[in-house]
Amino acid sequence: MALPGDLRRLLPEGAVVDRPEQLRTYECDGLTGHKVVPSLVVLPETTEQVQAVVRACHAAGTPFVARGAGTGLSGGALPAADGVLISLARMNRILELDLESERVVVQPGVTNLQVSEAVIGDGLFYAPDPSSQQVCTIGGNVAENSGGAHCLKYGFTVNHVTGLLVVLPDGELVRLGGKALESPGPDLLGAFVGSEGTLGIATEITLRVVPRPESVRTVLAAFDSTDAAGAAVSGIVAARILPAAIEMMDRLTIEAAEAAVHPGYPDAGAILLVELDGPVPQVEEDLAAVEAICRSCGAWELRVAADDRERALLWKGRKSAFAAMGRVASDYYVQDGVVPRTKLPEVLRRIADLEREYGLRVGNVFHAGDGNLHPLVLYDARVEGEPERARELAEAILEACVEAGGSLTGEHGIGVDKVCSMPLLFGSDDLEAMQRLRRAFDPVGLCNPGKLLPTPRLCGEVPGPYRAHPLEKAGLAERF
Amino acid sequence: MPSVSELAEVESVHQVAELLARAAAEGRRVSIEREGGEVVVSTARLDQVLEHEAGDLTAIVEAGVRIRDLNERLAAAGQRLALDPPGNPTIGACLAADLSGPLRHRFGAARDLVIGVTVVLADGTIASSGGKVVKNVAGYDLAKLFCGSAGRLGLIVRVALRLHPVPEASRTLVAPVDDPADAQTRARAILRAPLAPSSVDVHWPGRLAIRFEGAARAVEAQLAAARALVGGDEDDGAGWGEAEERQAAARGRLLFAPGDLAGALAGLDEAVVRVAAGVAYVPEPVPDPRDPVEVALAERVRAAFDPQGVLV
Repeated sequence: MALPGDLRRLLPEGAVVDRPEQLRTYECDGLTGHKVVPSLVVLPETTEQVQAVVRACHAAGTPFVARGAGTGLSGGALPAADGVLISLARMNRILELDLESERVVVQPGVTNLQVSEAVIGDGLFYAPDPSSQQVCTIGGNVAENSGGAHCLKYGFTVNHVTGLLVVLPDGELVRLGGKALESPGPDLLGAFVGSEGTLGIATEITLRVVPRPESVRTVLAAFDSTDAAGAAVSGIVAARILPAAIEMMDRLTIEAAEAAVHPGYPDAGAILLVELDGPVPQVEEDLAAVEAICRSCGAWELRVAADDRERALLWKGRKSAFAAMGRVASDYYVQDGVVPRTKLPEVLRRIADLEREYGLRVGNVFHAGDGNLHPLVLYDARVEGEPERARELAEAILEACVEAGGSLTGEHGIGVDKVCSMPLLFGSDDLEAMQRLRRAFDPVGLCNPGKLLPTPRLCGEVPGPYRAHPLEKAGLAERF
Repeated sequence: MPSVSELAEVESVHQVAELLARAAAEGRRVSIEREGGEVVVSTARLDQVLEHEAGDLTAIVEAGVRIRDLNERLAAAGQRLALDPPGNPTIGACLAADLSGPLRHRFGAARDLVIGVTVVLADGTIASSGGKVVKNVAGYDLAKLFCGSAGRLGLIVRVALRLHPVPEASRTLVAPVDDPADAQTRARAILRAPLAPSSVDVHWPGRLAIRFEGAARAVEAQLAAARALVGGDEDDGAGWGEAEERQAAARGRLLFAPGDLAGALAGLDEAVVRVAAGVAYVPEPVPDPRDPVEVALAERVRAAFDPQGVLV
């Protein structure tokens, strides 16, 4: 490839990585089952350098992929074979704190938590809080439209980005939006957020930060079953209460969390964590109502965190639930599906049936308030055939979610992981319409190719569970 | 030949697809809910509420459903679409023209409340994106792309929406503001206080209007706290109606950094201002503030969706 020499001239000393052992550091993101070693990695420090790299790639017809912290779970930052990986790790400066406007302008390599830390002393915070927030970057959050436990009330990244400076796939620079929440014309900013790095590379991001709530109260409720806990969730919604978060864990995940981090959870069939925030009088009123609803649905233990330390402990078990699975199984596969909240009991029963059918255990931990499930499929990689069976089970759960009127992913993204499952949810005309948007931004298809939208080349001959779904079945799948 | 426009009242998605495919084949231009095309499409009869799942706080409606009709229906279940633009526009118009009202302070604009969309492209292709769940990152969000698209990318036929509960109580505090600096000081005091208002408007010149919604006792307490900060008196809400009329008559939307409210007001004789959004509705049109590269990019997107230029 002729590129490396060219790029060295465009970039500062040490910003080009081409030694094989160093390149391997970038071969995957959080989806470790997929690995591609890039031809070259560049570490630009400025928008102009990103622009120069993208221009050079465009001129040479070389594919390129942007990468933040590499915590994504769908392979969005998986390098392109024979391509350039653009790491934004060195673009990690906060450019402007405009507290009067409640806006923060950052480079893409700033971490999610750094934004809140920069404004917390002024009584503000950045609301989207993906569980990887200590390390994941804002650039990656923009690409994936990240949510988090509190998005039930506060919304997603797309609701908190007001402006972007974007290097388009041909190297042109465009400013979308600004500090106001509106802009004339089609919402290109809204379409860009969540486009998984396929429409360009954001090099400056303007974020909305919001005042910290006056009061935060967290209650844990223990139930005999997920059905009983689910009824309480429905009751809370019917009572016109909008908590900041409603999280549910089933018996298996409670046991694993207890073994791993000892949060002192009760020995229950299911627990709910409900967090309420806002002005004191509203929170106190809602808290009393939530406690009453939980009791009426069979909660036999209620714990309200008395202070921040107790609150952190209640959350600790939930936040470590994925990692805790290592205590009860050697390997696990994390699925990310969404169902309408009212379909949760039905889909949980379906998951229980599938566990029996496949002879594997599934732990269920989920954002119950918005129907976003994270089934953890447990398996033993040393047992022949089990990894494949686990993948098939995870795929069957996804099909159950789509059949119930839900979605393929609530927050992890499509990436390469689910690209061939897209026809489960979208017909060919839907996908073609999305393709039109992509072509308008990237006519030659060099920007994060092979992600998000399925192609016959990608999905026609993929072995294992992620094969293209028969179109007629997609036609039957319930969607509107 | 004098151009005579034909009014087409469509009542199904497939009818829209046939109409647009035929117009494209015949080389006739089409406009949606406004003059300009040889065919003018009316969505007045695309007026069905297709689904309302109260337990999920979601609804799927046809694009011709009017906001007020929808909210009357949802009220029976104690729910609402928290979108209150002036007049009684259709859902399709709320998306296509990015219409919102004072509730945008807390609940956002159409882009923040739409969770799925079905559109018919200019060649008759029927395409959907999103779905009927609030949390969903599968595929490009065409619903957002169509917000502000002004009917040039395709015809919005169905919309899935996120709903909110109707609050138990709703009360308004109105405080006088003397000049731009005073307006900014008082508005900032409200925005930075530990309060959760649904609306914070400056109705310029003259007053700051703040609406609280929620449980009755909580609203009472917040109203008192706000009054302690900025003064003023409780208002029966009539001011909102007057501001709505002024917003409807406005021909321009001036955008500003929310922290520069005083600077924005200084040049204005009158305006209805959504303070935290940085949007002021002003009597006269304002120049397009977009980066010319964005305008060119939007045109490339338009051309990709409607290469023949059927939609005008």
